[in-house]
Amino acid sequence: MSARNLSGRTATPRKRRTTRWQAAFPLHWDADELLSRREMVRWTVMASGALFAVTAGIVGLDYIQKSNTSTVRKAIIRASDIPVGGVHYFQYPTAEDQAILLHLANGSFAAYSGKCTHLSCAIYYHEERKKLLCPCHEGVFDPQTGDAIAGPPQRALPRIEIQQDGAMLYAVEEHPQ
Amino acid sequence: MSDLEYNLSETTADTDRTPPAGRSAMLMAGLAIGILLLGLQLWLLTLALELYLSGQTTNTWQLVLISGLVFLGGLLLLRLLSHQPHVTTT
Repeated sequence: MSARNLSGRTATPRKRRTTRWQAAFPLHWDADELLSRREMVRWTVMASGALFAVTAGIVGLDYIQKSNTSTVRKAIIRASDIPVGGVHYFQYPTAEDQAILLHLANGSFAAYSGKCTHLSCAIYYHEERKKLLCPCHEGVFDPQTGDAIAGPPQRALPRIEIQQDGAMLYAVEEHPQ
Repeated sequence: MSDLEYNLSETTADTDRTPPAGRSAMLMAGLAIGILLLGLQLWLLTLALELYLSGQTTNTWQLVLISGLVFLGGLLLLRLLSHQPHVTTT
């Protein structure tokens, strides 16, 4: 079958013939803006900038939080008000952060952040088991060191530095372990 | 489909445009490296988030530095590309 185009001349085969799928699914290259490699590179760089901005934002947020709360000295309780083996719950470094103070059997005091290092549930001291427990997923922490000893938590509880000034106990600083 | 239909197809005329030999491979390699670096940045972001949530943020500025360097490299590449004309051979 001889093929003729609109001008009436016989169609000559092109050097690089259009494939069947290209004819079946025509693409308007001139109207296209997203498929060129140049545009792809531009979008990639924009995505890169967004990822950089979010990473910097997270670090910046942490810096701001630390600068606001790093050296807050806060009175907790009188040392005589917490018996050996006793526990006292308080808020540190802000009113939204639960913390826990323990009077250990050896007479010393230890304080930890009250947020589980697994998914931030509130932990409590189980007096019968003599362990710090997280009720959400049964995480267990050692009251002597704050180390995670059972359950899903992998990290130790952040330790809160305690100072005794006269009869009063003060929380000074929180240290991640 | 006949040859007539192929030649009347005005929408596929530009499919023949190809960059010079070797250029296409370089562009594709550049894109592949760029996407890999994007994956690296995503990993750095998840790492920064994990360290932030765990409170261990003493060295997280290094993650920001690496991510920023990758982004600067991308900007540099974009600047280089903007100085090169589009290659279209039809």
